[in-house]
Parts: sequence; structure tokens; C-alpha cells
Amino acid sequence: MSTRSNSSDSSAAQRRRALTISIGVALGVGAIITAFPFIWMISTSFKPQRESTDFPPTILPGQPTFEWYVRLFTELDFGRYLANTVVVVLIGFVGLLLMAMAGYAFAKFDFRGRRWMFFLVLATMMIPIQVTMIPTYLILNGMKLTNTLVGIALPTLVSGFSIFLFRQFMSTIPTEMLEAARLDGAGEFRTFWQIVLPMSGPILAVQVVLTFISGWNSFLWPLIIASDQKLYTLSVGLALLNQQLAVNPGLQMAAASVMVVPILIVFIVFQRYVIQGFALSGLK
Amino acid sequence: MRNRLTPYLFVSPAMLLLVAFGIFPILVAAVISTTNMNISAFANWNNVKFIGIDNYTKLFADPAFWQALGNTGLFAVFGVPAIVVLSLGVALLLNRSQGVFFRSLRAFYFIPAITAIVAISLVWGYLYNTQFGLLNYLLSLVGIEQVQWLSDPVLAKFSVALVAVWRGTGLNIIIFLAALQGVPKEYLEAASLDGAGEWKKTFSIVIPLLRFAIFFVSVTTTISWLQFFDEPFVLTDGGPLGATTSASIFLYKEGFRLNQFGYASAGSIVLFAIIAIITLVQLRLRRADDEY
Amino acid sequence: MKRTTQAALAVVAAAAMTLGMSACSTPAATEASGPLTVWVMGDSGANFEKLVAGSGIQVDVVAIPWDSIDEKLTTAVASGSGPDILEIGLSKLRTFADAGALLPLDGLLADYPGLATANFPAGVAGTATAVGGKIVSVPWTSDTRVLFTRTDILAANGIDSPPATWEEVRADAKILAARGDGQYGYYIPQWDAPLPIEMTWSNGGDVIDSKGNVNFDNAAFQSAVDTYTSLYADGSVPTNSDFDQQAGFISGVAPMLVSGPYLGKGVTDAAPELDGKWQASPLPSGDGGSVSLFAGSNLGVWFNTDQPKQSLKLLEYVDQPAQQLAWYGLTGQLPTTSAALVDSTLNSDPNVKVYTDQLATAKVLPLVSNWDGAVGTALLDALNSIVLTGADRKTALDGFFQATKTLTIN
Repeated sequence: MSTRSNSSDSSAAQRRRALTISIGVALGVGAIITAFPFIWMISTSFKPQRESTDFPPTILPGQPTFEWYVRLFTELDFGRYLANTVVVVLIGFVGLLLMAMAGYAFAKFDFRGRRWMFFLVLATMMIPIQVTMIPTYLILNGMKLTNTLVGIALPTLVSGFSIFLFRQFMSTIPTEMLEAARLDGAGEFRTFWQIVLPMSGPILAVQVVLTFISGWNSFLWPLIIASDQKLYTLSVGLALLNQQLAVNPGLQMAAASVMVVPILIVFIVFQRYVIQGFALSGLK
Repeated sequence: MRNRLTPYLFVSPAMLLLVAFGIFPILVAAVISTTNMNISAFANWNNVKFIGIDNYTKLFADPAFWQALGNTGLFAVFGVPAIVVLSLGVALLLNRSQGVFFRSLRAFYFIPAITAIVAISLVWGYLYNTQFGLLNYLLSLVGIEQVQWLSDPVLAKFSVALVAVWRGTGLNIIIFLAALQGVPKEYLEAASLDGAGEWKKTFSIVIPLLRFAIFFVSVTTTISWLQFFDEPFVLTDGGPLGATTSASIFLYKEGFRLNQFGYASAGSIVLFAIIAIITLVQLRLRRADDEY
Repeated sequence: MKRTTQAALAVVAAAAMTLGMSACSTPAATEASGPLTVWVMGDSGANFEKLVAGSGIQVDVVAIPWDSIDEKLTTAVASGSGPDILEIGLSKLRTFADAGALLPLDGLLADYPGLATANFPAGVAGTATAVGGKIVSVPWTSDTRVLFTRTDILAANGIDSPPATWEEVRADAKILAARGDGQYGYYIPQWDAPLPIEMTWSNGGDVIDSKGNVNFDNAAFQSAVDTYTSLYADGSVPTNSDFDQQAGFISGVAPMLVSGPYLGKGVTDAAPELDGKWQASPLPSGDGGSVSLFAGSNLGVWFNTDQPKQSLKLLEYVDQPAQQLAWYGLTGQLPTTSAALVDSTLNSDPNVKVYTDQLATAKVLPLVSNWDGAVGTALLDALNSIVLTGADRKTALDGFFQATKTLTIN
């Protein structure tokens, strides 16, 4: 940088600074508006029943109460739903590995059928979910997977979108590195495990977050596949609270908060890597 | 030999799952769409008859289907630019500084993307409620009359779309922020030396470099608008009087409320075809764009 | 081309096999043992477990969210693998019986005197709710619609007692709506398809003709439409679809409305300080008296259960008057057995007395396949298009008559 300093430079720098600050203020306001429904949800979850249905509404609880959280975990079995949800998310990570393998093959191998297989991958992104519900259920039923957590996780285990992202990212891994590993006598799976995966950290972070979100919020399949309430996930538990007449916003909001906060933590932890992951996937 | 098999070993687990839960169902739907299958089929399989293209002719004569397609088109035409422009704008602003404040704001913008749809229906339902909702309360403070967010046929379209835009920007902002990291600093510094202002730099350097990201986000956003389902389903159930019934909602109701599986399958095939054609056109345009 | 045909055939064969296998299976000849799986609607299975704890029968209870019944039942029916016992709303009964999901009980009921038709009010048990001549369910809980009024607000506006006829409802609603901006006299839920039918019944008419076909084209229904549209024309009812009836009743914005016992329970829970300031009274009458809706739910046995006898034993257990009253205590859902409905403790609450009296003359909706989806939706669309968007009444109703005239209870 030049050390030369004159009046026009410093006034330009000041203007830049002022602009940055006003953008910061605008973004801050935008962030609060964007997150407002979320803030309101948390606030209502601490309101007693009467206050939550009062009009005009209060922004902050007048007499905060933990009663709804206590009820969720004592009377309503939310502890079990939470555990199931965690298992579904963990199974989702197996799917993550399968998608990484597929993305790797599409990126780094030339094989017969690659083109149309990749076309199928892209085509699955365009299929409306309502179409697949009944056939998918019949398949799972035929495989005797109904009423299992595996059956709940299976239909959404792999997604075309994620395979596509893996392929994009892995295309950027230098082929020479793979050749070197092969010359050293590493098997194909060892190459994948010890070279490709470690180099794919950022895209894995992206996928961890995406997988976490979809597993955590899964609603349809847990509902349909579980013929035992012991297998319900948080989303289904939350839907159970939605009675014919909504009478207890505090309880519902507490359940909704239990759902959102963990994802937020996962995102905050991974966000730096997530952005890197998309950046290096060639999305520029 | 080993080498020839390797890629197939890598691809096959994921492909098997995709075929089983993605491709196979659409083939089943294609077959069912040529039958009169309804719920009585499950009592006796002989109740199902092959009826050729009758479902399709009936579909194209059904005003409710056209209304749903029209709504979907309207949602896509306004929704896609809204999400793309908004996410790009916020990402550009967020990228202005790498300071702690700007970084911590990102999480706020990401919150809507991670909120479960069931939670969204609760919170927005309370916000939008005509008599007891917060939005109308705030408007009443500045003397504006009650607004029927979800009951007025025109406004309801806007209201459900607003929630979808709110929910759809988070992930795209992240994608754009990522793409912005790929913009070489040298270009911008060189432009500054040439005396280019902020606007000029943004429009003539940054945005052109983000072409692929913009394209990618447009394609995925278009697909998700064409499959638009969650928000109207939980907020309005497609009402009032069908004003927010998207194609997916129409299919869902025919299939799961009326149990007309043959008819609903025909509709899904049509929707799938529309999505595929639009996506292919987008891809083709992109290719043409690249050639110049 | 040939390969495509083959692929298509393979798909059909696979689909047919999966479906066919399930459709062919019938109840096992020998009774199996083990816990019974029971599907109930609502937020938790814990109450049902409590209820049957004394029966000596093991149960696994699964609560199904109200909003997701369609997906859950359709997929279960498609695969043939369901529970042993399930709770079915009366409006869904026909659909699931048509799908073959419910075990016909005619030959079996004789062994279970507690489930005899005579134990229940006329019109809800036995052949009255049979589908295709077969009894596929037994009554379980009941629900009806009555008029709720905020007596304090009515009195403050010079109305001494709740309106007894629809004419009076209209007049009183007009007075109450004149209280000011944003205040209404009455509330019509835009999703409540049974309301115009209750009005038709109360006018002495019906929506099913003598041959069993759906037929709305009659004077009693036209008069019901008059009532319905006039409340809107007077500006007495809110026009937004997301009006919250409980909040509207508690705040007094809508001091009169027709709803079910759950509203009474909700108001008691959310606003105990209103105690004594509101009451339930019979559904307003038309020319033909006050005929309300018999809603509620029945219990059915899944068609291929391996424990039909044990299942019926459980149904008989929960349909005992004592258990029916215990269920009311746990959930606030009213009983269906006649003996429980006249119980003096139950009727000591004046509001409950109104419900049980109303149930005595209430009728079930016609058992037309897909009543909710086909008739209910079309009816609401027609009426709401008249009152909300100013559609021509004759055109809208003619279209509705046309769309529903092929439906039948036969």
C-alpha cells in the first residue's frame, strides 16, 4: 500500500467508511425483521397461556414461565421424539457418504452410462414429492421397513441436488493427486477415503448442514412409516399439538423452539466452512 | 477389470436409492395415470380399469387444474426474480465487510431457511391473523384498517409467497456469499484505480463474475416454485376459493383427499413434464449464452 | 421401443404384486396374541392407555395428527398393513369402508352384547352407519353443534335470552354488529360445511332424496342459503377466513356462534374469568325444529387383523358406560352409549345437558363416499363465492347441484 496521504484520498476513505456503516445499519434492521418471527416464537414460548392469546399482543413475556418446556418433556414424550430425530439425522450421514461416493465417480471417472446416469440424478430434482409418496411407501412396505427408523430415513437418504454439488466440488480435485496415490499402490476405496474425503472438507460441511436440516425437519416419512408412536420425530410431535382448534400457542411455540435452536447452533458452528464449501464447488 | 468396475461400485448405492425412490415412482405414476384407479382398488384390484388418455383429456378440461397451473405460473414469475434479486442484494451487502458484525448477521438471514414448516405455519398464522395478528396490530397503531392477509384472494397470493420468499432466501444468500469469495480482489482494485464507483464495480465486474451462481440459483429456485406446496398448504390450504392452490396442492387434494389416484397421477406427469421442459430451456439458454 | 414396453410392464407387474398381495390377505383363521395396536386422533396416546389400563388387554397406542389423517390412512390402506383398531371420523367412514380397510362386523357382534345397536342412540349404530349393508364400525365418541352466546354482551345490548330461531339470530346479530367497527354479531366458519346442512335439516328438509341420491335442489336448502347469505349481507359476520373463533368469542368480537363442545372446553381453559358470562343453548331452529349434526368418531377393526376377537373385546370394554364417562373426564369428548349420555353427573353441568339433549335429535351426515372432499368442498365453494366475491347465486348453486347430483349413499 502506498503511504502517500492527501486530502482527496482520506475523504474518499471516509465516504467509504460512512457507506459501510450505513449498510451495516440497514442490514442490521433487515436481520431483525427477517428473524422477527423467530424472536416472537421464542418469546411466546415463555408466555403463560392467557398472555399468549391476549390482544394486543406483547412482544416480551410479562411473566415468563418454563411450564411449556417442562410439559413437552414430561407429559408429551418430546425426549423420545428428540432421540428419534437424532437417529434419523445420523442415518442421514450414511446417505451423505453414499452421495459423496457417487459425486466422486461422476467427477473423476469416465464410464459407460455416466451421461444418462447423471441425467437421472438431475431428473430426480424435478419430481414433485406428491407423486412419489404412495409408490415409495409400497416399496418400503415390500422391504419390511415400515415402522423402522431406517425406513423413515431411506426415502430422503440421497438427493440429486447433493450429488450434483459433490460432483461440482470434486471435479476441482487435481487428478494427479489421485494418480499418485494409485501409483503408491492405494486401492480405490483407500484413495477415496484418505485423499478425496479429506480434501472435500468444505463441501462436506455444506452437506452436513443440508443433511442436518432435512433430517431434523423430516415430517412426512416419519408420519407415514411409523405405525408406532415411539418412532415419531420432533416435527410429527409438533403437528400432534396442532389440534382442531389452536388453543395453546405457548406450548406449540415451545415445541417449535426446541426444533429450531439446535439447527441454528449447527449452522453457526459450520457457517464458515459452509460458505467455503459452496465457494469451492465452482459456484462462481 | 477392477478399474472398469470401480466407478460403478461408487455410483451404485446412491443410484439404486435414487432409482427406487425417485425414478421408479414416476414410472408407476405414468402407468397409474392411464387407469381409473381410486381407493376402491385397494379393496379389490379388479376395480382398476385401463382408460387410456381419458385422465389427461379430463385434466385439460378441468378449470380447477388451469387455475392451479395459472397460480403456479404467477408464483414462479414473481417469486423467482424476488428470491434471486433479494438474496443477491443481501449477499452483496453482507460481503461489504468481513468484520465480526457483518459475519454475525449472516446467521439471522439464515434462520428462516432452517425453520421447520410446521413451526412456520404456527408463527406466520399468528402474525397474519386478521383480528388478533401482530401485523394488523402494528398497522392499527399507524391508523391503517384491518388487512385480510390470508382471506383476500389477491392478497393471500402475496402473503403465502412472502413467506416462501422469506424462507427461500437463506440458503441462496449463502451460495452467493460463497461465490463472492471467488471474485478476485485484483480486479476490483484495478477498477478502483481506474476511478470506477461502487455501483459500476458491482454491476460491471462483480455481477458478471457471479453468472454461474446466478444461473444455478435461478434454476433451483424455479424448480422449487413450480413445486410450491408447503406454505399455502399450511397457511391457507389452497384457499380462499382456490386463489393459492398451486399445481402441487391440486395434485395432493385430488390424490389424498379425493383418492383419485389415476387422475392425480396424470396431473403429476404433466407437472413433471412442465418442470423438465422449463429446466431444459434454461439449460439451453445458458449454453447459448456461453457461446457468445 | 420394445425395451420401453418391457420396462413399463415390469413396473405394472411389480406394483400389482405389491398391491395385490396386500389386498388378498384376510384375517387369520386363528387368533394371534400380543398387544393390540390402536390409532387414535389427537395429541397423545397416553389418555387412551390410561382408559384401557383396567381391561387386562395390552395396547400400543399411536396418536395421529389431525391434519395428517389422509396421508396416514391412505398409505396404510394401500399397503394393507395397519393397526388392529382405529378411530375413524364419521365423515371418513364410507371412504375407508369402500377401500376395504375395515372388517365387516355383522357376524361377530352377536357375541359382544355391549356393542349391540340398541345401546346407542338411533341413527348412529348398526345399520344406520353401515356401508354397503355391512356394519364396519361401532360408535365411540359423540360431538354435536350448539349455539354459544356471550350472555353478558347480549344483555348489555338489550337481548335477554339467546336466539332460538335463525330469524332471531339474524335480528340479534344485526344489533350486536352495530356495536362498532370491527365488532360482529355472529361468526360463520368458512370451513364449516355441515352448518348449511344443519340449517337445511332444521328447516325440515334433507339433502338426500328418497332414492338415496344427493339432492340439494329443494326449498329447505334454498331457505338455508337465504339465512347464510343474509348474515353476510347484513355485515353481521367477519369475512376473513382466518378468524379465530375462540379468540373472537373470548374477546367478544363475535359474541354468538355455532360450535361444538370443544369450544366450551377451550373457553373454560383459556378464560376462566368469563365463567357465568356465556352459555350453550340449542341450535337455532327453522320450520322443522332444531336438528343438529351428530359428528364424533367410531372405532373400527382393521380388515386383516390377526386378533379380531381381542379387538372386539377391547371395543366392548371402551363402550361400557363407565369407560365412556371416564373418557369424557380425560379428554372432554362426549360419550355415545345411551346409558352414559343420560348419566346424572355428566348432565349436572348445564352446558353438557344442552349437548346431550341436542344429540338426542341430531343426525349424521350422509354416508357418501368422500363427503368432505366432494360435497363439503363444493358446497363451501359455492356459498363462499356468493357471499365473498359476489358470484351470481343461481349460477353458483346450479353448478353445485350439477357437480353433486351423481353422488349417492347407495
